[in-house]
Amino acid sequence: MDSDKKKKINRRTFLKGAASAAIAGSTAVTAGCKGKGLLGSSEAFALEFKEYFKKHYRLMTPTERQQTVTRLEKLAKLRQDINVNIDTTGPAENVLYGYAFNVTRCEGYMECVKACVKENNLDRKSNTQYIRIFEMEHGQMSPDQGDGKYFHMVPKEGHFYMGVQCFQCENPPCVKACPTKATWKEKDGIVVVDYDWCIGCRYCMAACPYWGRRFNWNQPEIPKEEVTTQQHYLGNRQRVRGMMEKCTFCIQRSRKGKVTACVEACPTGARVFGNLLDPDSEIRFVLENKKVYRLKEDLGTDPKFWYFID
Amino acid sequence: MKNPKIKKYLFYIILFCILPGIMVLFSSMAAFSNDQGVASKIKKATSKLDKATQVEQSIPLPKNIVKATVEYQGGTFFTQARKNEIKRFQCSSCHNNKKVLINNAADMSHADIKVLHGNKGKPLSCDTCHNKDDRDFLVSSTTDKIDLDHVYDMCGQCHFRQKKDWIGGAHGKRVTYWAGERVVKNCTSCHNPHSPRFEKQWPKTYSVPLK
Repeated sequence: MDSDKKKKINRRTFLKGAASAAIAGSTAVTAGCKGKGLLGSSEAFALEFKEYFKKHYRLMTPTERQQTVTRLEKLAKLRQDINVNIDTTGPAENVLYGYAFNVTRCEGYMECVKACVKENNLDRKSNTQYIRIFEMEHGQMSPDQGDGKYFHMVPKEGHFYMGVQCFQCENPPCVKACPTKATWKEKDGIVVVDYDWCIGCRYCMAACPYWGRRFNWNQPEIPKEEVTTQQHYLGNRQRVRGMMEKCTFCIQRSRKGKVTACVEACPTGARVFGNLLDPDSEIRFVLENKKVYRLKEDLGTDPKFWYFID
Repeated sequence: MKNPKIKKYLFYIILFCILPGIMVLFSSMAAFSNDQGVASKIKKATSKLDKATQVEQSIPLPKNIVKATVEYQGGTFFTQARKNEIKRFQCSSCHNNKKVLINNAADMSHADIKVLHGNKGKPLSCDTCHNKDDRDFLVSSTTDKIDLDHVYDMCGQCHFRQKKDWIGGAHGKRVTYWAGERVVKNCTSCHNPHSPRFEKQWPKTYSVPLK
């Protein structure tokens, strides 16, 4: 009897010791992953610790989504002293986003690129850009013949301009390539990335035939006063090093009924954005009345991004 | 006649010849019908959407807009107003029969306006668009008055292709929202009517090489 009691206590103490050792060990591991700055604040560390054990975005319940959003907002406040507002608005019924680009109208001013970088909190250090404008000679068809790094007075005679970004394919090869299911197509047709489930293997980058995805080679650096505070969990929230990101048709804007930042910035009206399932929408008018084509249509990716000419 | 050998092999005949044939037939049918593609989704979506339920948020109408006199795809839309953008509107506050002091003449003239509109050999004059008899209005080629807010009626007389595209949505663009009431930019929101072509300029940013 006595020895039995002794044994029990021993086991309990052993378990207690093991548990505390496990916690200490995981703390050491997570501390090793992150920079020194986080250890300064215990609140930030506690939040960061919880963030490691959250679920995949699609498996979260609404409460869990709200909890992680609250944590991320608090972390942004503690880390950078920015009051961000992260929302998790889901896709609306009867909406399928589509995009059309008028190659006749685009003059290559690159206002869209500038607006996109600002809106989506893209890394200023490595000059990450979702949109790329190619200067092409008349008669050229594919942007790989064009000049993607021009810098002179535009428009140049005898040239036209063609913008390339993520085409939000209906049959996206990047989604098939992802080994962790960190990227998927939403119901409204936007291909999104769960940044916390991306392992940075860049298979999707290799799978994309349009060069639509961007990798964070370094910790993104954005000046504090330039951060767009209206954010979306799947869109322009803070990314970290070693993760894939891409154009999301400005999910934080489009799901609120707004046009994307590039459409709003375009001074020539070369960009058309709208709901493909609405027969009254501008995009449907373009598809029905204009000469449209899609890039690399023969690959069967079925992109929701059309080029058209006047 | 009953051949036990045929009966014995019948199972294998079905398994290896008929079943694969049926499977190939079905899979090819699925491949050609392509029910998942964008084109088929668009084709199916023919019924008009209820504007009220399109996006949950109620979208406020912006200020300074007017209802267009034309319809697009069977519905009405709004466009940006012009009159309150013009600094010296009403025009008739100066263009009347009252006398003008010579001291004010320099400020009051329109010498700063350069007309770069029309063909090179045949440029437009002020009177081509502005109404001589009622200065607060424009004038159409059939001498009808055109309100400055509805300037698309003026421009559309020559640029009828652009007007058709603008009404449908292939020219110009919507203001801020893709959902809700359709509000589009007017011709003069983007183009200077006296010099409508966009000028050459430096790109706002640059791209670094990808590879």
